[in-house]
Amino acid sequence: MNGPRVNGPRVNGPVRRVVVVGNGVAGLTAADALRDSGYDGELTVVGDERHPAYSRPALSKALLLDGDDLSSHELPPATHGAHELLGVRASGLDLERRLVRLDGGDALPYDRLVIATGSRARRLTGLPDELTLRGLDDALALRARLAGRPSVVVVGGGPLGMEIASGCLAAGCRVTLVSDGVPLSAQLGPYLAGVFVRAALERGLTLLTNGATHVEASAGQARVHLGDGEVVEAELLVSAVGDVPNTEWLAGTGLADGGGVLQVDERGLVRPGVAAAGDLAAFPTPYGRRRVPLWSSAIEQAKVAGAALVRGEQTPPLRFQPYFWTEQFGLSLKAAGELPVAGEPAFVEGGPGGPALMRWSHGDGRGVAVALNHRVPIPKLRRVSQAAA
Amino acid sequence: MKIVLNRPRCEGHGLCEEAAPALMHLDDDGELVLHQEEIGDADVPQAQAAVRVCPVAALRLT
Repeated sequence: MNGPRVNGPRVNGPVRRVVVVGNGVAGLTAADALRDSGYDGELTVVGDERHPAYSRPALSKALLLDGDDLSSHELPPATHGAHELLGVRASGLDLERRLVRLDGGDALPYDRLVIATGSRARRLTGLPDELTLRGLDDALALRARLAGRPSVVVVGGGPLGMEIASGCLAAGCRVTLVSDGVPLSAQLGPYLAGVFVRAALERGLTLLTNGATHVEASAGQARVHLGDGEVVEAELLVSAVGDVPNTEWLAGTGLADGGGVLQVDERGLVRPGVAAAGDLAAFPTPYGRRRVPLWSSAIEQAKVAGAALVRGEQTPPLRFQPYFWTEQFGLSLKAAGELPVAGEPAFVEGGPGGPALMRWSHGDGRGVAVALNHRVPIPKLRRVSQAAA
Repeated sequence: MKIVLNRPRCEGHGLCEEAAPALMHLDDDGELVLHQEEIGDADVPQAQAAVRVCPVAALRLT
């Protein structure tokens, strides 16, 4: 280390100021990892939401269901001791001068930067009556709307759309879900999709699988036009049709690819001294470079990225191990390994129709273990997924 | 410091065990077992990692 060099894009200088942009679990974990790696300098976390970091998976699960309990998303308070700027949006990045520009005109200088601004819901329209569920404010707004038991149409047959439909049914609403093909089949594979669809239909979900061509929504009135010409009407429209990286603030830096995604290396670096983690990053996985916008993915990425900004190549590279879970229609699924899975499972414990631990093998020998309504801790799930077929 | 488990919240994911295998594990029924409640300074970073990774915030460090 030489003397202070705060001008120019030099990355070997002393690290005195680290800025983390994004206060989701990726930003929070990166800040923790910086501290755990011995960084004790100035740390600033910028978050566009006014809330402290929370558990996003809970928003479409317990938070939609829990009667009066509005705490299921709350995380323990942050311990990283950062200066937190909450309710503040980053508006630009100057890589040459190493400045994060903020809405309102302020700028934060940095020696090292973590980009963790996540993603937002992809929308079908710009209409305010098309609800989405991505952030805490969205979840609280949806909860409030469900209290009046409106009829609901959910567009999107992925895990989020299905969780929302399940929550709306549990709230006593009449619910129609519009998907393009069998819900969950693209994410989980046909066997597991079948299990969930049966449970959903038994609980009273109306399912239409011809896809939506376009939607209309105004206060208390929504219309979804289907591929076969049919029209579904409901009082409330919720869409869950994917997510879009929040990387517009990086315009002009060349950091994001054409899809707005940051391609990072095995330690989460997008440039020397600049890390990215969470839903906006595509990182190397055993099955190629992927964006994996899930809870444990964000945490694993951020741990490595935060450490790498302090310790560089001494930091062990990310060895990503997929973990996914969902709760809907009375079923709880936990999966270790790469989804979707083809064909029928081998039953390690239990059997069809009841609590079960199942295993699939991909053609190249990699395995997937799935626990359905069965409390199996992850370490065991991982062992089962890795067992020889 | 002390690790506190809110058992009704625990869903048995076991991400905490992965983060801090020396401090906790899930038993055969998927119930979390804390090896010790009081932890020394050396174990605090591991305990914090376990607390942080829990998606239902069933663990706290006080």
